[in-house]
Amino acid sequence: MTKVYVVGVATHEPSSAIRGSRLEEMVYRTARAALDDAGVSRRQIDNVTIAACDEFDGRPISSMLLSGPAGAYLVDEIKVTDDGAMGLCLGLSRIQSGDFDLGLVASWSKTSKTDVESIMNNRAEPFFTRPLGMNMSIANGLFAQAVAEEFGVTEDEATTRVVDAYERASANSRGMNHSVPTTDEVRSSPFEATPLREGHNAPITDGAVCLVLASEQWLHRHPGHEALARVAGVGWATDSYRLDRERLRSMSSARAAWDRALADAGVSGSDLGAVEIDTPTSYHEAAYARTFDIDGAALSPAGSTFAQHPLFCSGLVNAAEAILQAAGRAGPVQKAATRWTAAHSCHGFAQQGNVAMVFEGSHNG
Amino acid sequence: MAETVGVISTYQTDYRSQHPDVTFVEQAQQAAVGALHAGNMRPDDVDAVVFSLAPTNFMGVADADRWAIDYIFGAGKPMFRVHTGGATGGSAVHAAYSLVRAGTFRIVMVIGAERIAETPDAQAVLNTIFDLFYERDMPLSTNTSVALQASAYMQRHGITQEDLAQAVVRQRWNALRHPQAHLKGEITVGDVMASPMISYPLKLYDICPRSSGSAAMIVGNVEALDSFQSRPAFLNGIGSVTGTYWVGDRLSPTADIDYAEMSLTDFSGAACFRRADIKDPVKEIQVVELYDPYSLVGYVQLERLGFCPRGKAARLDSEGFWDLDGGQVAVNPSGGTLCSNPIAITGLARCIDAANQVMGTAGGIQVHGVRNALATAVGGISQFHNVTIFGEDHVPDREEV
Repeated sequence: MTKVYVVGVATHEPSSAIRGSRLEEMVYRTARAALDDAGVSRRQIDNVTIAACDEFDGRPISSMLLSGPAGAYLVDEIKVTDDGAMGLCLGLSRIQSGDFDLGLVASWSKTSKTDVESIMNNRAEPFFTRPLGMNMSIANGLFAQAVAEEFGVTEDEATTRVVDAYERASANSRGMNHSVPTTDEVRSSPFEATPLREGHNAPITDGAVCLVLASEQWLHRHPGHEALARVAGVGWATDSYRLDRERLRSMSSARAAWDRALADAGVSGSDLGAVEIDTPTSYHEAAYARTFDIDGAALSPAGSTFAQHPLFCSGLVNAAEAILQAAGRAGPVQKAATRWTAAHSCHGFAQQGNVAMVFEGSHNG
Repeated sequence: MAETVGVISTYQTDYRSQHPDVTFVEQAQQAAVGALHAGNMRPDDVDAVVFSLAPTNFMGVADADRWAIDYIFGAGKPMFRVHTGGATGGSAVHAAYSLVRAGTFRIVMVIGAERIAETPDAQAVLNTIFDLFYERDMPLSTNTSVALQASAYMQRHGITQEDLAQAVVRQRWNALRHPQAHLKGEITVGDVMASPMISYPLKLYDICPRSSGSAAMIVGNVEALDSFQSRPAFLNGIGSVTGTYWVGDRLSPTADIDYAEMSLTDFSGAACFRRADIKDPVKEIQVVELYDPYSLVGYVQLERLGFCPRGKAARLDSEGFWDLDGGQVAVNPSGGTLCSNPIAITGLARCIDAANQVMGTAGGIQVHGVRNALATAVGGISQFHNVTIFGEDHVPDREEV
């Protein structure tokens, strides 16, 4: 199988609401920055994989408008709609197929322009769960209940994890630099959906992220270009649509995605120096840390969603952070020994879908 | 070395305005079960799922693909949704092809369903795909935008409305032999001309119906083909291209893309032909399944794909060149998109109808001696175009030769 490398990466500066730029401008700037980081021109890329959500973008077939800013003009372009990290999975396969050599993966999220919970309610099937008022908060609450029972996650742990995550995120120069709350502030924040309190949530931001992928053959033909990291393994899986306790506590799609990514890369969790885990809430971190058996220094050194949380593309931002770690370019959040890094993404009601990605760096951290 | 990819099985439901007897997810399940039965397979044989679903606004469930997961036996499997507007079905097949060809999975199911009639006015939804500030107020709609294209094409090549009507007459006749087709019948050019004018020069019969239905295609590598299909259709070539959003930027003499002639097809066609090693499409391809929601759109694609010179496709139609029986190339034996347009899966249906011809499972519309069949899909006001070629024999990659 053709080896695929990341040769360029860029994330847009996040904000709770990017008001000075249209979405097209955000996407263009991020794609441009990733191409510049790779040292290639738009005309050199032979494929673009977009990961975007019509409903969040506010228009049907949003790639009609946004494919151009994403660099997809007179090239092979395709779009997935699950989450940003899924774009990396398909973009990787397209190059591994041998049909393509140099591709851009682009994803974005500007939910400050939309009513997220209305869209999430509209995601629910119309017969049972929608009339019940299902939305993201309630689904996350159900998830938190289930994993609290399954793993024994206490409110104290959820609170401590929030504060720690904000602490890690505060060092990330690519993040929001949120102020770090006290445990009392988290513990006294209002309930949103039992047991979730408002303070357990990672604040949603606007943002965008692009990666440039190259085949080993392309790199061989272009010796002046340096790989940041090899995409060593990916895995993704989707659970049942049901929101019952068994499904929510099983973590089965997360486990399947994680196991496949590690197996493809030929590593174990203990080999990973940094793992950015998608954590819409601190209960998610508690559940995924146990499921992946990742905690301590390797756990989300860049702060994951507590650094920035562009809802649709948080997972691909996590990938960008893991790639920067593997390349030794993570700046203030750089870990010392990081040959192998990983990133995780979750999507859908109560994390119905999960994506795991493993990267191999070439620097001697 | 890349994996060889072939079609194991396909399935389509009937295409109708509505399927009130089933929900969206049950409709999707019909396709999943149908394709599994056709391949003599069990759900566990499928490694991954690609869901073909265009704008969800038509049906009003933003996560309809995930709602369907349990019904299509997708729970626990890797799955994602592909969405490139009208081109979605073709793009979904390309995604599945890449997943198998890369060696990521052994067997992938491409599946989708469409319930466009759930919205009282699909055209109102489609009107919102145009640029908000400049082009939407023209007023551009799918009908008026293609009418502009048709007017320019007719003026350039001296083509009449009667010439364009031949595509409708031929394809509704073909569709009489395709059990799943939505519109079908023996009609005349006069009938097309007498149908209500929608947007000059397009009359009602020049325009596709709004169809609902579901479809699935299962593709696999050589190992899978050995297990489940003795006569596969090999996926020998893909080509896809995205052009500019702005219709206005495709109208000037110096534009990269000629809007009237759909010259975007040049790019996707060339890429696909190169990969499939097709040098003379008329001689090498026996069946073409084109995404043609309007009578004009099939003709321009035939010309841009090199099946005939520019401005000649409609004239050749009058000579029977594209006929199902006795033509040089059988164009849309299924009736094409003019007869059935379930948008989310139209491109997939074109691929299924092309693959079935190669596999010899096309039933009443089977063309004799098909070695290669081509399918296209078009999306976003001709902004997205993809081409897929299915072959009786696997075309080796260069490094395999």
